[in-house]
Amino acid sequence: MAGKFNTILASISITLTLAGCASSGPVSETEKLDYKSRAITRSDGAVLVSASVLSADESHDVYGVALAKKGIQPVWIEVENGDDIAYWLMSPGLDPNFFPASEVAEAFASTHEDETIEVLDQHFAALAFRNPIPPGTRVSGFILTNLDQGLKMVQVDLVASGKHKSFSIFSTIPGFRSDYRARRIFIRELYTEDEIIEYTDESAFRAALEALPCCVTNKDGTRNGDPLNLVVIGGLDDAFPALVRRGWRPTEQTWSGSVLKMINSAMAGERYPYAPISPLYLYDRPQDFALQKARDNIHQRNHLRLWLSPIRYHGKDVWVGQISRDIGSRFTIHSPYLTTHKIDPDVDEARTALQEDMVYSQSLVKLGLVKGVGAAAKDAPRRNLTTDPYYTDGFRGVLMFDVHPTAITDVQFLPWEGREGGFIEHSTQQQ
Amino acid sequence: MLILSMLGLTLTGCAGWQPPPAGFDDSVLRVRAVTAEVRGVKLNAAVLSSGDSQRMFGANINAAGVQPVWIEVENTTGQMLWLLRSGTDPDLFSPLEVAWSFHTSFANETNAQLDDHFHSLSFQNPIAPGTKQSGVIFTNPHQQSRLLNIDILGQGQLFPFTLFLTVPDDQTDNHAIALDNVYQLIEAATDDYQNTDTFRARLEQLPCCASSADGNAAGDPLNVILVGNFADIVTALVRRGFRNSELEFDNAQRLYGRPPDLVGRKSAMGGMPANWVRVWVAPFRNQGETVFVAQAGRRLGWRLKEVENEDLMLNPNVDEVRNLLIQDMLYSNGLSKIAFVSGVGPTSPGELRGSLGGASYHTDGQRAVLFLVTRPLSLSDVQILDWHPALKLREADAVKELENDGN
Repeated sequence: MAGKFNTILASISITLTLAGCASSGPVSETEKLDYKSRAITRSDGAVLVSASVLSADESHDVYGVALAKKGIQPVWIEVENGDDIAYWLMSPGLDPNFFPASEVAEAFASTHEDETIEVLDQHFAALAFRNPIPPGTRVSGFILTNLDQGLKMVQVDLVASGKHKSFSIFSTIPGFRSDYRARRIFIRELYTEDEIIEYTDESAFRAALEALPCCVTNKDGTRNGDPLNLVVIGGLDDAFPALVRRGWRPTEQTWSGSVLKMINSAMAGERYPYAPISPLYLYDRPQDFALQKARDNIHQRNHLRLWLSPIRYHGKDVWVGQISRDIGSRFTIHSPYLTTHKIDPDVDEARTALQEDMVYSQSLVKLGLVKGVGAAAKDAPRRNLTTDPYYTDGFRGVLMFDVHPTAITDVQFLPWEGREGGFIEHSTQQQ
Repeated sequence: MLILSMLGLTLTGCAGWQPPPAGFDDSVLRVRAVTAEVRGVKLNAAVLSSGDSQRMFGANINAAGVQPVWIEVENTTGQMLWLLRSGTDPDLFSPLEVAWSFHTSFANETNAQLDDHFHSLSFQNPIAPGTKQSGVIFTNPHQQSRLLNIDILGQGQLFPFTLFLTVPDDQTDNHAIALDNVYQLIEAATDDYQNTDTFRARLEQLPCCASSADGNAAGDPLNVILVGNFADIVTALVRRGFRNSELEFDNAQRLYGRPPDLVGRKSAMGGMPANWVRVWVAPFRNQGETVFVAQAGRRLGWRLKEVENEDLMLNPNVDEVRNLLIQDMLYSNGLSKIAFVSGVGPTSPGELRGSLGGASYHTDGQRAVLFLVTRPLSLSDVQILDWHPALKLREADAVKELENDGN
């Protein structure tokens, strides 16, 4: 516990020191270009895409206004098009609620009396990513998205007539604690080659999924918590872009600053998209990755936690996950933060809602259900670590993704559980 | 202090829930319900009034910021069906989530009863062959009238429905009339173009802009054409978050001597109106399909800034809004083709063209033509038609700009 406090204190003092640096003296050109040097590049054929997410200080330097204070985060994107056709970059793919440059110019025109809206408009338009990317050229610029902290999934969809290329880049944002964990996961330090189990046979794979633990645990592994009710097959190229397209965003790890912010937000009933997500344990470690889909305010959000398993299926990563729907905040003595989310006791509802939503993501190829959670009846519910009751039909939802776009009607059902593959009769759910 | 206030939150509102009398008579809903059928799947749907939800649920759900919609699906096909609730509202509420907002402290038994009651009235998947399933889904509220999109998934096929439902407590006569009017105008459209060139020529000849009511002043540019079946166009817009919402401000714009036939708004965070699409039914068709002439625009001002109706004004950068509407529609699963035609007329660099209410704008003079279909499509299925070389011209400009930047 003391260790935890020290870490928190250390991070606070680091933040303070950084803030101090930023306000003292002019920023050198090299520092300004830092975001370009940490850009991550991915390629598909002759097309290269690089992206980097700006910190609050960097975006202030580049735009000359405090974008972060209004919840705006610029993403720098560079596309090098070695193909023989022009591509167009789709902003809604990055963030369905992104901000057009002209709108942000207006937001700041009212607060900067010395600058006219035209000046800001031209300045912001010049910084914006300009379509198209003609063949044989390199185009770069910024897209203005909603602010994420720590880690951002940057989803770049390039479209040409009858053609689509999709890239996804995880970008860390300087100054947040989740950097370190995220990097570790995506350079795959978690498992050695010997530990990886590759499956190509469907029934063996199904048996492996059924054999996974039922539930998350507390840190010591002595108590069971929420059910592990999801299996996500895919990763950076397909599963994560699909989640981003449907509004899921990574969360900040739980630490004191965001806990304070969350409490303030719970009091005011305000929308706060970065409510912390508390750690739950599998494979002796907290979730590798947590996502949430914020709705109107903190009382309404869905939480999704994922752990990278040592299982691979036809070469694809297999993630084990837990999803629940928060239906409110409540007071608890079972959490050091004194507040927790009240989850919908019908946990299968959140799992089904995610499966339905992913049908619209253009990247889902298969869905189905597999055993392994163990049923809990409504009149004899199990309880999670914060003593919230839940009941379930005992299945995990399976979602298999692919990079190639799939239309709604082409999504296949895995013939594993339920009638006609994947359909569970409601009456059996409530037993 | 903090803990005290947290407790305060839990202790408020101990009015207590009373179960409603058993046997809610759904005939009230059936009278109002709108019916449709797609390939052997029959759908009935109605929005509940506050009175209906009080009688059905024993609580006024509508007052809690939820719009309950009653749905009945009859499956006469031979296959199992599943209603994709995300297609109706990606931010849907779960039954127990709504129930929880009516829970009271120290009333475990009542709360459990309340949960059961809400759960039993909610819509349950799947819909087995030869059966009928009915129940309520808990959506985010729409005002005035509701464009209800229902996607029902079968084996390798989708049964899509788009219904226009009245919102009982928020119904103005004008609105029902406006909708009837749209259907009549669609019926009345006569010239049916079978040839792409003549259709394109007709689109180019449309006036650049709407006009004022007296016809003396030019209004906002007519920068978008939507082509397709009415339901498909509406479905695509609804899937991307547009809602039917007409403000007095919209009615100043006139085409064919009338205000817009329908207005869709895409609300931003916090429910603020951000973008709009104002549409008029054209008096002509393309290969039997309905043609809408439209204005895509955005109000001047930051999306989180509160504005009164009288403060609404057009943002000068209308092309940006038009282009972003195209991008948005690409993600709707319903866009099949994109083309551009001239007809708005470009403004010279640095020049602003005046519109109504003191607004002004600049434009490249292009109209985007968007073709929408029922069959679900993915991003790679969208074709860009080689009509006006707007995109090629923009591409050439982009090359020049890059050369000037020394890139």
